[in-house]
Amino acid sequence: MAIVRPENMDFSKQTFSAIIYGSPGMGKTTLAISAPKPVLIDFDNGVSRVAAAHRVPTIVCSTYEEVLADIDSPDMKEFETIVIDTGGSFVTYLKDWAFRTKKDCKTQKGTPNTLKQFGYAKSEFMAFTEKITKVMHKNVIYVFHSEEKADKDGNPVQRLMCEGAARNTVWNGCDFGGYLQMINNERKLCFTPTDDYFAKGTHGIVGNITVPVLDANTPNVFMTQLFEKARKSIIEESDANTKERKKYDEVMGEVKKIVDAVTDVDTANQALATISDLEHAMTSKKESGAMLNAKAKELGLKYNGKSKAYVTKEG
Amino acid sequence: MTMVHITKTLLESWRYCFSCYEGYEDEAYADFLKTLRREQTETTEAMLNGLAFEDRCYRAAEGKTIRTDAKWREGALKVADVIRGAQIQVPISRPIEVDGTTYLLKGVLDALKAGVIYDVKFLSKSLGSADVYGKWLNCTQHPAYFYLVPEAHEFQYVGSDGEDIYIETYQRDQSPDIHEIIHDFLEFLKTEGLMDVFAERWAV
Repeated sequence: MAIVRPENMDFSKQTFSAIIYGSPGMGKTTLAISAPKPVLIDFDNGVSRVAAAHRVPTIVCSTYEEVLADIDSPDMKEFETIVIDTGGSFVTYLKDWAFRTKKDCKTQKGTPNTLKQFGYAKSEFMAFTEKITKVMHKNVIYVFHSEEKADKDGNPVQRLMCEGAARNTVWNGCDFGGYLQMINNERKLCFTPTDDYFAKGTHGIVGNITVPVLDANTPNVFMTQLFEKARKSIIEESDANTKERKKYDEVMGEVKKIVDAVTDVDTANQALATISDLEHAMTSKKESGAMLNAKAKELGLKYNGKSKAYVTKEG
Repeated sequence: MTMVHITKTLLESWRYCFSCYEGYEDEAYADFLKTLRREQTETTEAMLNGLAFEDRCYRAAEGKTIRTDAKWREGALKVADVIRGAQIQVPISRPIEVDGTTYLLKGVLDALKAGVIYDVKFLSKSLGSADVYGKWLNCTQHPAYFYLVPEAHEFQYVGSDGEDIYIETYQRDQSPDIHEIIHDFLEFLKTEGLMDVFAERWAV
């Protein structure tokens, strides 16, 4: 293991995890494979609907084990992005895999124990994503169909078409997630959440971005450019944040030493003054106040707002 | 003049009058009045579960052992991984001027670390059985807490059903202005003739 300081961090090869969802026929698969050097895992037989000029290498499979074998093959080295199409169908494959390979997924009658199936599917879904992003260091894009549901007032809302916990947990590690829809006859990938649909935008990827119309001669590079923009934004954010974060780490290290040295009311009040005089960064001032208060409480002291000092409980 | 304070609980109770299920409006309004009058409310099982779960998360974050057979252990450990190293249960307040009057906005941050505010939410429904994402989009908590901690750039709702976690992140620039929310809240109180109750019961 190596400790890399913020000022030495290199984001030029930063990979991303993204979600694209929308109605059938919107062109989600074509959009997803516009990412850098993609390979498509076609759980949904979607590649046939991609225009021939824009098709990319595709893993066609009938079981999850086949996907695993392909993912682990040396051929994967040349690809930078893995597109999972669709996330909902992937869960169906995982349920099938769990039923066939995990003993406790079968009831005594031989029928599926759906609760167990979903449990395994959820864990494997996350483990698979982690492997792609953390071990293989590739981008991952999950494509989902959307389905219209009704909110509490009966208004239509767009949700991911997916069974089980994966429809929630898939958002955790995702850098950005966009809902693809038509607005004024233009396809827009929408990254800012609204009451009608959920979305996730970060690293400068926010709002509604127009997806260009493709013909056979147009390069399919929308997601590649989006990733590039996000990467540039991270580098800029990092440059601005590095100094602040370094200062924060230093001041919090200092505060810890000061608080550790507090043993009674006098040292608590000395610490109060010393901490207040430090040059703070980010939320260090509020955090150090909370740290000192916790230590004072341990020692049976309380803060007197009028005298702006710690006193013993009796005093 | 005595300053009046406002909490996230009060604002959320008001917001629930508009976001509750159809047919529950009267019940939501009655609950809001109870909160506004600061009447003792019955502690529900859901509230107790939430408190017990949070306590488990904080203990795990401090490195304390959670029994292997303890309820919600998996979820608590996952939440602890997120908030480890943060300051826990940080009370905070800051004056806020809305429509020419200064109020005291108060809150308790579940966890605070390096510019990020975390709020732990116990979910009574399993993450496998319901769509949770987007659940906190209109919540008044992140706009309020961004105001309380001007140095914070990010707010994370860390939801757990006791087994898995779901994190919903909001950046400062994605968050509505709390001044506008409080303005709407005060307008509601005026329309309903409840300003006197508010001023009396929520005086600092």
